[in-house]
Amino acid sequence: MRQRRLLRFHGLKRPRVRQTWNKYNLFNLLRLRTPILQSKTLFQQKWVAKSLTRGYHGEHIKEYQWERMFSRRPLSAVNMDPAYMAKHDGSEQAAGRGSGRKVRLGSKYSGPKNQGNLDAPTPYMQMIFAPMERRLDIAIFRALFASSARQARQFVLHGFVTVNGKKMTYPGYLLNPGDMFQVDIERVMAATGRPKRGDRNQKASTTAEESEPAEAEEVEEGEASEEATTSEAAAEPVDAEAAKEKHLATLNHLKEQARKIMLVKDRFNRAKKKKALRKYLKDLKETMDRSRKLRNQSVAEMDEAERELTAILSNLALSSAEQAPEGKRQQQQKDKESAELKAGLQAATGGTVSGSTATSLGLLTNTQRAVLKWVIRNELENPHDPSKPYATPWRPREFMAPFAFIPRYLEVNQRICAAVYLRHPVARPGLSEVPTPFSPMLSQLAFNWYLRRG
Amino acid sequence: MPPRIRGSSCQPQLLLNYLEPAPSSLTPSLTIAPRHRPATSSAPLPCGRSFSTTPAPQVTRLRRRFNEWVEGSGEQFKEPRYGETNYISRTVNFSDFRPVSPDQPFPNNPNFRSERVLSEKAREMIWQAIMVKGMPLKAVSAQFHVDMRRVAAVVRMKEIEKKWQRENKPLALPYARAVMGMLPTADLSEGEKPFEPINDIHVHSYTMQQLFVPTSESREFTRADAAKAFGERILPPDAKMRIPELVQMERNIAAGMPPREATATFIREAAESEKAFADRQHSRAKATEERTLRVQTDRFEFRIEKINSEDVGPTGRARKAVGWRYGVPHMDRRRGEVKIPTRVE
Repeated sequence: MRQRRLLRFHGLKRPRVRQTWNKYNLFNLLRLRTPILQSKTLFQQKWVAKSLTRGYHGEHIKEYQWERMFSRRPLSAVNMDPAYMAKHDGSEQAAGRGSGRKVRLGSKYSGPKNQGNLDAPTPYMQMIFAPMERRLDIAIFRALFASSARQARQFVLHGFVTVNGKKMTYPGYLLNPGDMFQVDIERVMAATGRPKRGDRNQKASTTAEESEPAEAEEVEEGEASEEATTSEAAAEPVDAEAAKEKHLATLNHLKEQARKIMLVKDRFNRAKKKKALRKYLKDLKETMDRSRKLRNQSVAEMDEAERELTAILSNLALSSAEQAPEGKRQQQQKDKESAELKAGLQAATGGTVSGSTATSLGLLTNTQRAVLKWVIRNELENPHDPSKPYATPWRPREFMAPFAFIPRYLEVNQRICAAVYLRHPVARPGLSEVPTPFSPMLSQLAFNWYLRRG
Repeated sequence: MPPRIRGSSCQPQLLLNYLEPAPSSLTPSLTIAPRHRPATSSAPLPCGRSFSTTPAPQVTRLRRRFNEWVEGSGEQFKEPRYGETNYISRTVNFSDFRPVSPDQPFPNNPNFRSERVLSEKAREMIWQAIMVKGMPLKAVSAQFHVDMRRVAAVVRMKEIEKKWQRENKPLALPYARAVMGMLPTADLSEGEKPFEPINDIHVHSYTMQQLFVPTSESREFTRADAAKAFGERILPPDAKMRIPELVQMERNIAAGMPPREATATFIREAAESEKAFADRQHSRAKATEERTLRVQTDRFEFRIEKINSEDVGPTGRARKAVGWRYGVPHMDRRRGEVKIPTRVE
């Protein structure tokens, strides 16, 4: 029976909005309208409302379980403005004839008022499924750690989730205010990243590299794939060995940068520089081969190599025409996170490489420095790694952004894939914290359905 | 499974050719290769459906519309627009009378908005204020307009993040960057509108009823009186404030204290109250520790506490009562009894 129900999980004919980031679901969400209920009896109206809302809220939970969780008293909160509280003791609301003094018509001043709340009724009826949001699996989905509530449930069952540092394998665990849950980073990346689809992308990029590199983007992709074949680096830096490994990757990258510059600037480079660059590439290759064989290359020597290459790169002086697309790309990606850039570098390299690049980067012009920094950072943080179960370099999956929101009762730290359940979701004047795609009218009907049984 | 004819990717077509003598004499001879022969002789024809002569299912109207949408107007939702949100409300317009706000992830539900989250910069700032400058939680909460519980959570998770960085554990940096690019963020900089209400009080269900309380006209009917009218044990809002020191600060300012001095007083009072709270917690933990006797064995740590066996309530079935009691069944052995933990320490 369950199998049959799942067959039409994202059906178009009898659409049900689900807790997933699926594109069919997005299409169904776009088409979702409050059904025409005038011709139906009250029972039918409530039935329709109940079945629609339950199709979204915890459809993997049995109805009797939900009925036990349902609460007929939704929680709500009001903001109390301290300035108002300090000035008034509330008696002004009972002044006059018992309901506060009347404001004179046309006057701007409307009497003392408690600030900080919207001027709208509290949508209690949108809070029916608030108890459901307490469930661990649904909270994981809400924190954007899984692409569907069912996937979140699977993460819990498979033991990838901890609550307050202890493994929790019950998806139905009801979070208490202050509980911190954490999901395995690799699982989150796999769930929210693009899937690996054969080696179609790689093929396209290698052909791009074989042909004359016209666009910087293509070259970038090509070099990523080539790098994967040449270097077996890109491991977590756990000790000095791993740091060296990282060094190798960086050197490799710098080499590719140099080659790219050579390809693009072929006609304009003077022969001398070209020669120097070619020689350097050769040297670099030798150094890398040696270090790969010996595994006892000193870190200082590697730093030296990096510094030298960056110096040469700076001599080549990228033309403005070449800088333009790269600068734009960098603007897009980098936006306002320049502050955390250094922290990220340090995190990825364990301090050693970041220090060396920082010093060597002093040789470059501003734009070059920014570009190189961005490229290196990106390469370190988000490397091409065929061993991962998702497409690398990691990118968010398609159709994720329309579903990306984090409700206020959660505080999420995406870097460690952890979130704290701060409090139960509440309704405030004009706002409700339960993410539900249905109109207030439909929710009200569903609420009445459960009141009958509650 | 019926035996298959090897060697070509489009057998039914060839089979038909074989059965009906084709005008060209070449086709039949190529069709059925013997089983042991390698499949190289026949070139694969462009047909993906082996052994099926039924026509391909027609694309339904709905599916066609979906395909059109995915390739047409749905294309814009495929990729995030870094730096701003990309909700479907952007494209939905029910009518002029029902405007849809662009920060509404669900066009039908105007009561749910995608609210801002703290940016990395803001989190770092909060962590700095608490852990480096040593400011009290309440003061940080009031300064940045961030709920106290959120401040505590930010610091708690930031500490783990820093620990991971020290241990060179990989962080989910590309994921974090992508998600922060999709969400509306708050930097908590000067001049930004308040992040969230910090002086929330819970609405007690007793206070949701409408009451008619006759009082004399001359009486000052305050919040405290109203609370009493709703129920003996209902607290007035003043007693429920999360940061009562803020109200005191406003009172001081209203009484004519210069704002700078009032703020300093507020920070001092907040630090004092937090210290008192910490002391209380500490003494409670100490008292519990003194009550319990810990015995460490290879496998378990036994924690032994004194209990009173008479302490079983009037019916003898009090929930805190210890041990097996006559006539009280062990519910945990019942079929279908939920044994999910209710809390994790």
